[in-house]
Amino acid sequence: MPKLDFTKYKLKSKEELADILALKKRIFVLSCNKCFNELTSDLEPETAELNILLNETGKTATGSRALDFLCNKFLTEKTLSGLKEEVAGADAVAVIACGVGVQTIAGILNVPVLPIADSVFQGGYHGISLNAEKCGACGECYLTLTGGICPVVDCSKGLINGPCGGAKNGKCEVSKDKDCAWENIYNRLKGQNREKVFILQEPKLRNYNKNSAEFMDSYVKTIQAKRNEGFYGGLYPEEKKELTEKLPITKITAPEIVSIPLQQHAGAVCEALVKKGDKVKAGQRIGESKAAISAFVHSSVSGEVLAVEPKKHPLLPEPVLTVVIKNDKRDEVSFAVNSKGSLELSAKEDILKAIKEAGIVGMGGAQFPTHIKLNSNKPIDTILLNGCECEPLLNADYRLMVEKPEQIILGLKLLMKAAGVNKGIIAVEDNKPEALRILKAKVEGDLTVEVVPVKTKYPEGAERMLIKRVLNREVPRGGLPLEVGVIVNNIGTALAVYKAVYTGEPLISRVVTVAGEGVEKPGNYEIKTGMLLSEIVNICGINIPSNYELKMGGAIMGFVQTDFEVPVIKGTNGIVVVRKKDDLTAEPCIKCGRCVNVCPMELKPHKLVFYAQAENWEKVENEGVFNCIECGCCEDICSSKSHMVEIFKKSKKIIRERKK
Amino acid sequence: MLITQLKKKEEILPFLKAKTLLVACFGCKEVFFPEKEYQNIKEEFKKLYPDLSGEIVLDYLCNEDYTAKRLELYRQEIEKAETMVVFACGVGVQTLAGLLASKTVLAGCDTFYLPGFSGFTPSSYDCEQCGECRLSSTAGICPVTACSKGLLNGPCGGAKNGKCEVSKIKECGWENIMNKITTTGKVAEKLKESVSIRDYKKSQ
Repeated sequence: MPKLDFTKYKLKSKEELADILALKKRIFVLSCNKCFNELTSDLEPETAELNILLNETGKTATGSRALDFLCNKFLTEKTLSGLKEEVAGADAVAVIACGVGVQTIAGILNVPVLPIADSVFQGGYHGISLNAEKCGACGECYLTLTGGICPVVDCSKGLINGPCGGAKNGKCEVSKDKDCAWENIYNRLKGQNREKVFILQEPKLRNYNKNSAEFMDSYVKTIQAKRNEGFYGGLYPEEKKELTEKLPITKITAPEIVSIPLQQHAGAVCEALVKKGDKVKAGQRIGESKAAISAFVHSSVSGEVLAVEPKKHPLLPEPVLTVVIKNDKRDEVSFAVNSKGSLELSAKEDILKAIKEAGIVGMGGAQFPTHIKLNSNKPIDTILLNGCECEPLLNADYRLMVEKPEQIILGLKLLMKAAGVNKGIIAVEDNKPEALRILKAKVEGDLTVEVVPVKTKYPEGAERMLIKRVLNREVPRGGLPLEVGVIVNNIGTALAVYKAVYTGEPLISRVVTVAGEGVEKPGNYEIKTGMLLSEIVNICGINIPSNYELKMGGAIMGFVQTDFEVPVIKGTNGIVVVRKKDDLTAEPCIKCGRCVNVCPMELKPHKLVFYAQAENWEKVENEGVFNCIECGCCEDICSSKSHMVEIFKKSKKIIRERKK
Repeated sequence: MLITQLKKKEEILPFLKAKTLLVACFGCKEVFFPEKEYQNIKEEFKKLYPDLSGEIVLDYLCNEDYTAKRLELYRQEIEKAETMVVFACGVGVQTLAGLLASKTVLAGCDTFYLPGFSGFTPSSYDCEQCGECRLSSTAGICPVTACSKGLLNGPCGGAKNGKCEVSKIKECGWENIMNKITTTGKVAEKLKESVSIRDYKKSQ
């Protein structure tokens, strides 16, 4: 079935164009790739047509550029600022777009802007997908009374109280091809035995002032302001933080058996330092690697090693070498666990060593070894603690900020000392006023640490977004925060650093939020690494309802778990039960533009998918696939249900492999 | 572009009979469907009518193909229900009513219009799809939409201090056009251009 096509413009006739272009010689051409029709080509034919015409009439095209969604003022403005010189050399800019696109350009550029196309009337305002149903946006929906057939749009005269009487054989007098909407309404209502309800209604008078200038103005302003808050794009998912935000952190008793993977970090997998039958103590190092990027792994309990073998990992597709330990419940602690110093006494190197010894990694999910992050050769001036926790449901970091503010601030200061900087910032989303209040009180009078509230928006917690908002620095595409002098760390990581230095305790337990539908005992639990998901499911009484699934991590970016025999690891900040996405096959992209509108990295996700499907890897890379942070905003909003994040992950893998 | 507001509670209450199914569309999230307001009103309804037959949350109800597939998934709930109250824009309600022609489908929201086409943050610019773009002679400011009266050949004279007589917050489109033309210094030339009458058939 061919998709409907709601292309919004067509090229003006040659004669009209000759008129419009009459006095201009040098023309720069901007064209908009058509929205709301199927994405089958990344070239629109109109540009070529116009170029032929320019040639024939002896004009010079000084350059041309095709853009997606000219009406996206933010992105269009950015692109145009890179084209300044080319545009400056032209007498006029010819724009092939609908009226909104032309006006957007005319509002940005201070040169004559010429419309080369006429908008094509589509009648009524269509929804997001290609669908013939229309809405007049009258502001007083009549569909309840009219069986779901709209009298405002479907009746030629927009009558709202009944037919005019001019229809013949069910067709409108305005056009023989048009059904009489009122006959359709009557038939539908009769089929539902509802026609009397309608007939007994009092006549209605349409209020044409519902879409008043005031109404529109206030909406447009608030929505535009909200969309552009802090950074471009993003979403406002339902937060559902209230499920666990008031529940204090409680410890879950260490289990009988722990299963500790030797890879709980970005980088090389560790080699096992123990073998079957060995006795280990809590906090004893059981895995290490000599590779440049890796982190030590420790036992979280005391007991006997039952096995060292590859086992299923919660995040990785292949089994990972794992040390299985039987807990002897004696809680014997390794000799290595003792205070390594303090903020005052420890030197930079001591702190770095303690962090490395403790096997600390980024606890927000990425699990990058912290000691490597801190040991950068680039000039750093700020440590940013990320207290955003922008994922729905999660409260692990929030509870830590409320319950252990002193330790977190000490941890931050240790991080600052280790990186040799004098400035620390804790950024907290403004949906956590309690955490903000407590932390602010604790740093009062301290000139080195600042607590900054940021507006709540997903994915605020992504490093790039946070740096832009808090420090107004733009991390270059494909670059790291280090390049703008910043190191970002998680709240849990700061606490782990504090523990590593002050008590010598390695990273062997962490706070995990357990929440969601069907969770009998939701909460914020301190859990030993290596505890199996299946035991937590039992203890917390998790019964996953149909249409729901369990994720490790956040509700949006977390990893779906189907086999519960996987352990909690250093980066597990949540165990959440969320609604499954309906299993629908992806349809072709209709260029609705939503993904471009929400991508916080300012990419064009629909184009990435288009090129990936064509296996044009060069273009996938050029369009910036490696800048994708896999936040899932595009996939969440996609009206064609494209599994975008999966496609991007695969694309990255393929491109990397091709380069090898 | 479209945006929705919940109807008043008093308007929706009479819809809720014993076997009512609520259908909510959270599709175009970034245009701010009143999600929270919906959640609140739903909780109130549940207290008032403990036997509301259920709730379905979907996205992009306007996508007919997907909605048809999804209705299959919820067939039991739908069969049980006598009426369905749909919280979506007018397109969503019509799509569902069209797919379920034998069910009473009621609208829980009113739909409003904002400038710019769907798919984006509302624009400051609007296009009425008149089919005969005049922006080249009006300095890129559209007289059809920027002027309350859609005048094509100059201001009506009713503006005061640059504001339209229709609303104090609306700027006079023609003053803006004139100001912009003046800065390019081609006023006389532009004023000489003849203006054709709008052909309304092009936008039907």
